[in-house]
Amino acid sequence: MKVVYVDLDRCLACLSCQRICTFQQLSRSQDADPNIRVQVDMDQRLILTHTCRQCASAPCIGSCPAEAMARDPRTGAVVVHGARCTGCGLCIMACPYGNVHLMPNLRVAAKCDLCGGDPQCVQVCMAQALHYGDIHELIRKKREGSQGSLALDVINKKTTTSD
Amino acid sequence: MFTAGNHAGGEHHGLQAVTKLSMEIKPAIENGTIATLCRMCDTRCSINVHIRKGVLREITPGQINPVNAGRMCPRGKAAIDVFYHPDRILTPLKRRGDGSFMPISRDQALAEITRKIQFLRAKYGARSLAAWKGEGVGFFQQEAYVRRFVRGLGSPNYFSNDSVCFSSRYLGNLLVTGFWSPFPNFARARLILLLGTNPPVCHPPFMRSFADAREKGARLVVIDPRLNPIGCRADIFAQPQPGTDGALLWGLIRALIRAGEYDRAFVEQYTVGFAEAAAYAERFTPEYVEQASGIYASVVRAIARLLMENRPEISVYAGAGLEHYENGVNSIRTLVILATLCGTVDSPCGLYWPENPPLADLALAREEPLLPKQPIGAGRYPVLYDLARECHTMTAMDYMEGKGDYPLKGLLITAANPVITNPNTRRVAAALAKLDLLVVNDLFMTRTARLAHYILPAATFLERTELHLNLEYQRLYLTRPAARIDGVGTEYELWRDLAQRLGFAGEYFPWPDEPAVCRHMLAPTDISFQELEAHPEGVVYAPLRYRKYKRQPLPTPSGRVEFYSTYLKEHGLPALPEYIPPRFRYGADDDYPLMLTTGGRMTLLYQSRHQNIPRFRLIHPRAEVEIHPDNARELGIVNGDLVRVVSATGELELAAKVVHKAELLKGTVEIYHGWEEWPANLLTPDTLTDPISGFPLLKSIPVRVEKVSGDQAAQC
Repeated sequence: MKVVYVDLDRCLACLSCQRICTFQQLSRSQDADPNIRVQVDMDQRLILTHTCRQCASAPCIGSCPAEAMARDPRTGAVVVHGARCTGCGLCIMACPYGNVHLMPNLRVAAKCDLCGGDPQCVQVCMAQALHYGDIHELIRKKREGSQGSLALDVINKKTTTSD
Repeated sequence: MFTAGNHAGGEHHGLQAVTKLSMEIKPAIENGTIATLCRMCDTRCSINVHIRKGVLREITPGQINPVNAGRMCPRGKAAIDVFYHPDRILTPLKRRGDGSFMPISRDQALAEITRKIQFLRAKYGARSLAAWKGEGVGFFQQEAYVRRFVRGLGSPNYFSNDSVCFSSRYLGNLLVTGFWSPFPNFARARLILLLGTNPPVCHPPFMRSFADAREKGARLVVIDPRLNPIGCRADIFAQPQPGTDGALLWGLIRALIRAGEYDRAFVEQYTVGFAEAAAYAERFTPEYVEQASGIYASVVRAIARLLMENRPEISVYAGAGLEHYENGVNSIRTLVILATLCGTVDSPCGLYWPENPPLADLALAREEPLLPKQPIGAGRYPVLYDLARECHTMTAMDYMEGKGDYPLKGLLITAANPVITNPNTRRVAAALAKLDLLVVNDLFMTRTARLAHYILPAATFLERTELHLNLEYQRLYLTRPAARIDGVGTEYELWRDLAQRLGFAGEYFPWPDEPAVCRHMLAPTDISFQELEAHPEGVVYAPLRYRKYKRQPLPTPSGRVEFYSTYLKEHGLPALPEYIPPRFRYGADDDYPLMLTTGGRMTLLYQSRHQNIPRFRLIHPRAEVEIHPDNARELGIVNGDLVRVVSATGELELAAKVVHKAELLKGTVEIYHGWEEWPANLLTPDTLTDPISGFPLLKSIPVRVEKVSGDQAAQC
């Protein structure tokens, strides 16, 4: 199953993912809260970026009394059926990572739905800190990667060096 | 949501009705994808514009251009918002006596502008006319059109945005190594030293290189009065007093020389003036640097140690943060000297010496200089004119006010908004209003456009055919239009049609269209138009070769790296890049106890561009003056209060943002420079300039901050 993976050490908190997610939510409703969040702790000098891991166990689904959460069979993302959600907030309590929140205006649960299989946040992550792929595949690549990097190898093949 | 400010968006002089013409769009294709380069900033990432049923729907990143490597930023995605923006100017406009504008035909506009130009040229001479190119259209080919036009007109007066951005860095590099070094290949560095720059916001692709280098163990040193998030990743983050980078850099030079930890072989063979520089550096002890810059002596020693341990695999990069001081060029020269001592000249991660493709000389750079015609500012800043071949925009104000050596009466501006971006903006507006002819070619009704006699509708980058040159990767690109809009001419069409009416198109603009211009430029190369068209990701025109100085002399007067510049001495300027402390360090002014810096970048915005994109405005609804919590407390200011910032030049009311105590140096306040409704340049002086480049002082302006009232946003 494909997920958005955050390679935290690469993130420089440019906020592009959070911005584009805001715009993505805005195109659907008046609630513009992003589903990926970049937090910068200026005291500790820490950058923390997090988004839904689309867990296989998905405690959020099981916690929902209204059966408003389900897995999208096409993308594998855990999605919220806004019309069914009562805004009770149990899924927010159930998520071990704090990646579900309540939309401020609509008062229904919201979380990352992988943009239907083409996550915008990954497209705009120029640090290549965000990756979209099967988590096992990402782990394998990270293990095998020469320097542990998932960054694409785009070194210009025509370029030669004479140093 | 555009009504947050004191200059609300409503005052458009009845333009809404004029500009709300329907857009007759002619897409390049009905369905499919156009691969092109983004020009929402100057990075120029590869993008794909997706067109469905003749409508530009979406922009996604191009996959194989090494500049962006399959990613892009949210600015680029909003190029469609700009293209379809309801406020776009779609027809030529002429100002009426009462200041309102009426739509006229393109023919009428060009005919009347031509008549006015001919009248002014006959009465005051050709040099009473000038053109001014802004950042909005870019550089290279678009810049060359303007330079050609000015030459064809017989005037020496070409102005550009480079007067307040980039030229100081350009000169600082040229004066030492003789070449402009493009962005270093940070990914190969073991130590990255950044000064006065916030790459995640202003150069997003750098992030990938930084992360790649850090994954291999590279160290990061960030010098900035402001703690941006990238500072959180730094091994050393140091906050100097604004404008004191030169002292730190001389201190590092001294440390390397005293320890003998510099590239001796290179210095002996390929440099001049080492002894003079070494002697001058002596006074910059770590303790002196601490006193001059506020950076602890122990931190100076620690940075020096990192330089010694990691040379020559060091990337240094200075942003615009170093430019806007009286000592800007010399600070940058000092940085280039430091990088030279570390042995990074023409190395993979260092000061790369780019090779240019043998393109036709569209900008006529190799033609005789126009010095005898007295270009504006060439007398005051001869080095700027000599090396950059452009005039000085701040001096242009004198000429418009009738205080120059001759009058400046007519000005054609394209894609520039100097009423926002030049210092002492109230004076800029008054000077422009004195002109007999002001023509502005732009996408939107900017503050500058509102002063024009004629406004012409400009095309976006999505509507042009043009070549792009990337020196970092030594690639050439060709971009083709995704669409055209009826009645909206490209830059080329504007300058060519005006030249035609003025009778010099045959000599200066003989090509029927932009593809023909591109073919002309490519003729001396072995790369064809078709090849570039087939490779929107760019074509490498020459492989990257390093250490070329071993085979050919460097392009300086001496053929070597110049620590000591005889050329500058001949111009009556210090031969060494001496460190002059910024004026405010001499003594505090009780009337203006705080230090204003402007020009720090914001996400989504780019200089004065993109602030009218509604979804961007949701994120950045209003200007803010950022202030340290201690200073805010002393002044009784809380987050969101309306405050007045006062300098010797002017004043500005805007909201206060109390930042984290680590984010800004105490005593410093910061305002973004590009807002139409809150021009930070009302506060900046145009009289304190760098003696070499003529750059204005934009980053250490003495101000005071006064509380006006409580949170404005809360009251709306």
